[in-house]
Amino acid sequence: MRKLMFTLLAGAVALCGAAPVLGADSDTVQEIVNKASAAAYYRGKDGKAKVSMSIVDGRGRERSREFTIIRSDIGDEDNGDQRFYVFFNRPADVNRTAFMVWKNVDRDDDRWLYLPALDLVKRIAASDERTSFVGSHFFYEDVSGRGPTEDTHVLVEETENYFIVESTPKDPDAVEFSSYKNWIHKETFIPVKTEYYDASEDAYRTYSAVRVEVVGGYPTVMEARIEDQRIGGATTLYYNDVEYDIALPEDIFSERYLRNPPRRYLR
Amino acid sequence: MSYLSERSSDHPKAVVWMIGVFCAVMVVLVAAPSLAPSVFPYLNGLKVDTDPENMLSETEPVRVYHNEMKAAFALHDLIVVGVANETHESGVFNADTLKNVYALTELAETVRFSSAGGETDAETGGVIAVDIIAPSTVDIIEQAGPGAVSFNWLMAAPPATDDEAVLVREKAARMPMLNETLVSGDGEAIALYIPITSKDVSYRVARALKKKIATFTDGSDYHITGLPVAQDQFGVEMFRQMAISAPAAMVLIFILMWLFFRQWSLIVSPMLVAVAAVIGAMGLLVATGATVHIMSSMIPIFVMPIAVLDAVHILSDFYDRYPQYCDRRKTLTHVMDELWTPMVFTTLTTCAGFASLAFTPIPPVQVFGVFVAFGVFLAWLFTVTLVPAYIMLMPQRSLERFGAGAQRASGAGGGDEGPLGAFLRGVGALAVAQHKAIIVIFLGALVAAGYGVSKIQINDNPVKWFAADHEIRVADRALNEKFAGTYMAYLTLTAAGEDDAGALADEAGRILKDLGTPAAVETAAKIPGALAGVKDKEAFLAALERFADDKLADASDDAAWEAWDDVLLALDRARLQADIFKRPDVLAFVEGLQAHLQATGLVGKSNALPDVVKTVHRELLLGDEAAYRLPETAAGVAQTLITYQNSHRPQDLFKLVTPDYRTANLWIQMKSGDNVDMNTVIEAVDAYMAETAAPVALTHDWFGLTYINVVWQDKMVSGMLSAFLGSFIIVLLLMTLLFRSFAWGLLSLAPLMVTIAVIYGVIGFIGKDYDMPVAVLSALSLGLAVDYAIHFNARSRRLHKKIGDWPDAARAAFGEPARAIFRNVVVIGAGFLPLLLAPLTPYRTVGVFISAILVLAGVTTLLGLPAIITAFDGVFFFRKKRKGKTHA
Repeated sequence: MRKLMFTLLAGAVALCGAAPVLGADSDTVQEIVNKASAAAYYRGKDGKAKVSMSIVDGRGRERSREFTIIRSDIGDEDNGDQRFYVFFNRPADVNRTAFMVWKNVDRDDDRWLYLPALDLVKRIAASDERTSFVGSHFFYEDVSGRGPTEDTHVLVEETENYFIVESTPKDPDAVEFSSYKNWIHKETFIPVKTEYYDASEDAYRTYSAVRVEVVGGYPTVMEARIEDQRIGGATTLYYNDVEYDIALPEDIFSERYLRNPPRRYLR
Repeated sequence: MSYLSERSSDHPKAVVWMIGVFCAVMVVLVAAPSLAPSVFPYLNGLKVDTDPENMLSETEPVRVYHNEMKAAFALHDLIVVGVANETHESGVFNADTLKNVYALTELAETVRFSSAGGETDAETGGVIAVDIIAPSTVDIIEQAGPGAVSFNWLMAAPPATDDEAVLVREKAARMPMLNETLVSGDGEAIALYIPITSKDVSYRVARALKKKIATFTDGSDYHITGLPVAQDQFGVEMFRQMAISAPAAMVLIFILMWLFFRQWSLIVSPMLVAVAAVIGAMGLLVATGATVHIMSSMIPIFVMPIAVLDAVHILSDFYDRYPQYCDRRKTLTHVMDELWTPMVFTTLTTCAGFASLAFTPIPPVQVFGVFVAFGVFLAWLFTVTLVPAYIMLMPQRSLERFGAGAQRASGAGGGDEGPLGAFLRGVGALAVAQHKAIIVIFLGALVAAGYGVSKIQINDNPVKWFAADHEIRVADRALNEKFAGTYMAYLTLTAAGEDDAGALADEAGRILKDLGTPAAVETAAKIPGALAGVKDKEAFLAALERFADDKLADASDDAAWEAWDDVLLALDRARLQADIFKRPDVLAFVEGLQAHLQATGLVGKSNALPDVVKTVHRELLLGDEAAYRLPETAAGVAQTLITYQNSHRPQDLFKLVTPDYRTANLWIQMKSGDNVDMNTVIEAVDAYMAETAAPVALTHDWFGLTYINVVWQDKMVSGMLSAFLGSFIIVLLLMTLLFRSFAWGLLSLAPLMVTIAVIYGVIGFIGKDYDMPVAVLSALSLGLAVDYAIHFNARSRRLHKKIGDWPDAARAAFGEPARAIFRNVVVIGAGFLPLLLAPLTPYRTVGVFISAILVLAGVTTLLGLPAIITAFDGVFFFRKKRKGKTHA
């Protein structure tokens, strides 16, 4: 049996060509993580998705939100700077509420919030990206992506389909976890599961890519979930109408458009 | 002599063996499952219950609602750590103390056990880290440069300097949710709120915290309090009470009996009776699975003196008669003949008094009543068997000394000629001679007592069950002085209106009409069709949305798409009409209620949804105080709240409102947990709800322990009153049956009535709150005070029958019978006094008042009864007098 497993594993490794093995040096691990980040957050030059969010609390009570995300990668560079919009459609009382994010690799992100009912644009100085995304179990960082260089990565295991990477933060005071483990799909480099551990090494929070489909040639997560044992419950994101390379003009990512969203791109 | 006592006298050794075996079995029955629960899973071990919630049965609607709401708003029992610093100029806001507060919080976050103690196995218990309220775990929203706001931890890391520490205070003081809750009003103290999974882990959590605190040297005081901690402490004190007070009572009773009878070997028997009765009652209590609660922990101390009571009567009589017969069997026959009926009836009445507590709606009081009644029955059974058996087993030698001793001891207060005898003869003579004055005095006392009773204040507060200098009370005072209050009550406001498809259809029609576009008109036309055949409002709305969605998908251009998107938005807006707690007018109503609560002067602070909305609104608008107000539209509220939820603790919102925005929760902090204060607040809310027109129909309801206390006390007061009246009637019937005369029955209750009236009158006059222990006293006095009357009346009637003339019979009654009553008053009245040693006030209250009741009942019996009989001897001895005349 063990021999059979070994054969399968060896075959898998052979198939992947120069795939790293256990104990691979950190450069190689960093490459895996970079690829994973690119696969999850940088597909195409830009993109758009309509998202329904279902927030279920520990008592099974559900709330839902619908929003449209549009994204543009600056200079089409993987793991580089990005611009985002999150436009809310539902519930109706937050319709046209919008977040704009300028994701910066070398410094804190810039974030803006537009609240139409108060006719107010606010810059949000968030030193911390691990706060809830609009009351869901997702953090901002889960939506925008955690920088691949913010942690030290170790490839702890390699299975037939996954690289299992353990990551520890370089700045432990800035985050609530003490480490996390990522199951990165070998073929697509999509992280399909992430488990976050507290100081006692208990897993308290789990991300999972529930459904992956190929859209416009890119393997794309169509359903993602985060469960949080500490507060209970889970949030599921359903991605619809995903499109890539839609030629977004870069100048729409400005305060002016925040108030008057480019409806053309939101349809 | 009765059959039982006779058989016991015939087979004394068998009796001693049987009772010994009974006690041994009971002890094993309790000890085995308590010490080795796994070996005896089918037996009930000792279970201690210190939860005041259990004053109400688990199925009581108020508790069901309490638990439902605790779950709905994810609220937990809290351990509160108050940190104060009297030495530093900025109080606790110095770098050293905040570093320790940070470390303590970090530790608290990790306090978890794989098993939450004995009861709930397999589940993880401990601290609920995400809900801790501490400087390092709460979020604030603040200005961050021009046009920017920031959401941040209040204290992300321990401050490096004292200046930074003061900054933490300033930031927290700006957050209405934190000010006076986390940070004290004077800005010098901090309170940490540490939620725990269940009350039974509180001891282990508190111990972990104390261990950490012991390592701090910053000069601050750390008070650990909160209800779960108080309860744990309570359990400890309860056992201390049982371990100190009960044995102390035994020793005291023993000493007093020795003073009266001067015969060690003889007075051992009442002690044996008492111990056996206590073992029987407590053993059965534990074995039946009942819990040891504050009430049931008092069972030993109640059963013990009552158990001794009858034995004292027997011994007293035996002691006085033995020299006359000089034969123990003959003396016993005489004594048991004379005492049998009164003993049966005193036992019956005492049992009735306590058993009546079974009809109160308070489970711990029921358990207490039933098992004391059982203990009293056992005491009677053991008295009429063990005492005669013991007397028969005594060596002849000690009896001879006993007889001689009796005569010698008469000088010390034993026989007719001693000072006690002389004193009591004087009392009897006084009662007969001054009967009119005595009756007038008693009537006057009744009137005065009536006035006192009218002044009684019904009030209780479980924290005040601890003595004023107890660390729990000290912490309680310290925290309530500095913060908005440690007593929590929760008020819910719930939408009362119908939330059905019909109402939604009206709303949708109205909004679509307002929209007025062709697409809206087209959709509005579909409403009747969509409404037909659906009951569920979601199904109705889904039908309309499907229609609009299809149109949207078919939209040929942007304009058409937008038109149908607007229709879909309008439909969702109709759906959101149900979210009443997003409406500014409804929130303004809540705001008004909060102001009204504050105006009572009893509420330190109330935390509610408007506070969150206003705070976020203010910070969004440059932190300007003028912007500390509600937005003008429901959308404004919704967008403020979605902003608030971008924090580290989005779940906090749903501690103040349910996710459907149809029930709001006001967290009310009070500085006093007294029921009278809670009642005033309840009335204030009722008044506001009645007088202020709410924009939508709302119902209101309470939960939280401070409220539960009020509910159980109300039940207790009314339950006690009916239980008392019920047993009063039963006792009256028993007395009428015993004396075969209604007049004598009523007479027997006279001392009881005067005693109870005077006791409760005094309670009213001195301003002692009518609380849980005071409420129980009525049943106790009913059981005890009537005993003396029974003995006095029964024996007076016997004597009258023999002597034929009342004043002469009265003289005889003030011989041996009065001495027995007097000895009883002293022995038992003093026997309850060790309760004063107890560290918990309910025990002390009971100790003082029981002693007072016994003394008063003794006085009213020895003075009142002969006075009344003398005044109305025509009524009481009517038939006999007439008989006498016929004979003449």
